[in-house]
Amino acid sequence: MTMKLPQTLVGVGTLAGGVMFVVGALTIKSDAGYSGVGPNFLPWVVGVALLAAGAFLIYEARSGGYREMEEPSGAETSHWPGFAWVSVGILANAALITSIGFILSCALCFVLAVRGFKSAEGRLDLSPRAWVVDALIGAAIAAPVYWMFTQLLAINLPGLTSTGWL
Amino acid sequence: MDIWNQLVQGFVTAGTPINLLWCLLGCTIGTAVGVLPGIGPATAVAMLLPITLKVEPTASMIFFAGIYYGAMYGGSTTSILLNTPGESGSMVTAMEGNKMAKAGRAGAALATSAIGSFVAGTIATVLVTFFAPAVATYAIQLGPPEYFLLMVLAFCTVSAVLGKSTLRGLTALFVGLAMGLVGIDQISGQARYTAGVPELLDGLEVVLIAVGLFAVSEALYNVMYEGKTVETENPMSTVHMTKDEWKRSWPAWLRATAIGFPFGTIPAGGSEIPTFLSYATEKKLSNHKEEFGTVGAIEGVAGPEAANNAAITATLIPLLTLGIPTSNTTAILLGAFQNYGIQPGPQLFDKNSALVWALIASLYIGNVMLLILNLPLIGMWVKLLKIPKSYLYAGILIFATVGVYGMRQSAFDLVLLYAIGLLGVVMRRYDFPTAPVVVGMILGPLAEAQMRNALSIGEGKWGVFVERPASLFLVLVVAAVLVLPRLMKMRKAAKARG
Repeated sequence: MTMKLPQTLVGVGTLAGGVMFVVGALTIKSDAGYSGVGPNFLPWVVGVALLAAGAFLIYEARSGGYREMEEPSGAETSHWPGFAWVSVGILANAALITSIGFILSCALCFVLAVRGFKSAEGRLDLSPRAWVVDALIGAAIAAPVYWMFTQLLAINLPGLTSTGWL
Repeated sequence: MDIWNQLVQGFVTAGTPINLLWCLLGCTIGTAVGVLPGIGPATAVAMLLPITLKVEPTASMIFFAGIYYGAMYGGSTTSILLNTPGESGSMVTAMEGNKMAKAGRAGAALATSAIGSFVAGTIATVLVTFFAPAVATYAIQLGPPEYFLLMVLAFCTVSAVLGKSTLRGLTALFVGLAMGLVGIDQISGQARYTAGVPELLDGLEVVLIAVGLFAVSEALYNVMYEGKTVETENPMSTVHMTKDEWKRSWPAWLRATAIGFPFGTIPAGGSEIPTFLSYATEKKLSNHKEEFGTVGAIEGVAGPEAANNAAITATLIPLLTLGIPTSNTTAILLGAFQNYGIQPGPQLFDKNSALVWALIASLYIGNVMLLILNLPLIGMWVKLLKIPKSYLYAGILIFATVGVYGMRQSAFDLVLLYAIGLLGVVMRRYDFPTAPVVVGMILGPLAEAQMRNALSIGEGKWGVFVERPASLFLVLVVAAVLVLPRLMKMRKAAKARG
């Protein structure tokens, strides 16, 4: 019997979610009215179900691994540098979107994400030329999307200026 | 006849230039997302949900429906030409279609799937036209206990029956229900699980969960695990079917429609089961069994593709008449209706009949548009497959940002989006299904409200769920759905042991 650590951790995570929901359920008032079940009923069900699911997942993980697993597609090991590039891209976008505007922020996210995917493919190109080209492509995708939303649909997206064009 | 008048009225509404344009736009985007790996109809509809803030409901529902069934047309192109299915419903098409393409018959495979999709889609639309109003009339008699049980049935099928592991399916379902709990309770007005964050009072956005779970997690998963996966492309040939290929295709289309449609109408979710069933049927009935799995049999493409489209179209029946989504995409379509304050259900055919009939009429129109988009113009879509993966996924992230940020204008949501993306990677890596999360999150609050209403009617007694014949029947169906597959498995195991 092998024990699978990552699978056990997924189970522990589920268990932790269950604990969170049960603790939360304790604070919800049970104002049941005619129905006999109040707003705290489903939270209890969900919390307890997550606890049970977590426990079962841990049991399965520690007794030979999850049952009837489909082998996940792709490589056996994770490519962390690529993951880091893409993560930084998304989080930088979240941090900067209100200050530098949608187009620039998304172009930056695009450039960083492309670095990540290229590094995963083993052809990371950090030359200034590649950065510029990718940034232009990113802007060329983001700009029309931005214009469509702000000009045509009048949906607010943040801009660097208040013209609605950049 | 009443149906005719309403349908004609629907065509008038759907036929206005602006609505035709929305339909064409939807079909085009749908085909594109079907062709492109890494992005499906659920993601595309979710990303475009912010348009519900400004566009009027009829136009946007026509648009979203176009994306939904357009993706099924496009998905087959990718399955046939690449070695990866573009859509989960096209998995079976990939088996025979790929073999045919390798043998230099890509054109015939593409033709039979496009025409088959059209035939099945159109027949299914006719059936929707006649059945949906009938179901709605019947559904008006259903009360909260029956609705609650129907929703429980949807939960069970989507989580416990479809996936391989009931445990992981149920875990995903309860994660979704947990997400649905965040926000203000519909009945008592109490805030639940908001942790004092004002943004959470309105609940979690559907867009956020769907885009995070599908788009962002797909991008992250790809960069982490699929960097070295090389895709091979099969050679294209002229899109044409010989007389013999027609003769072998059309019975398969019809049989598949008959298999696919019923599966779409019941809350059994997704189009995977009917496509597999259709494939098995064709393989059994074919006079060319030797072609299956070797050079590729055309029936093996024609059947599953048609079944797929029939099922997809039929899922509109439970969505429109009962307000019960049975797949990822219909769950998000339900979210779109809710953004307009419209609750799909039997009353929809009374209260919003103009919208419903315009939507149904647009299905007829859309199928014709898709046939044209996917036969003469197929070359255009094939070019999409040449986009480098790095640009494709990085571009998807831009669209993900628009969808999520456009909905609520909150940068906090983008961080949450990343977190949901990470959750999606873990789920995919450890083989947890994602559909139960989305269905649970959207249907959960509705099911809870129905349950509490039902118990109010029954004055707190749980017997209310078995007292009426209709609800008792549903309780039995739920029990059967949960127990029968297990019994069959046990019998099989017993047989195998001798």
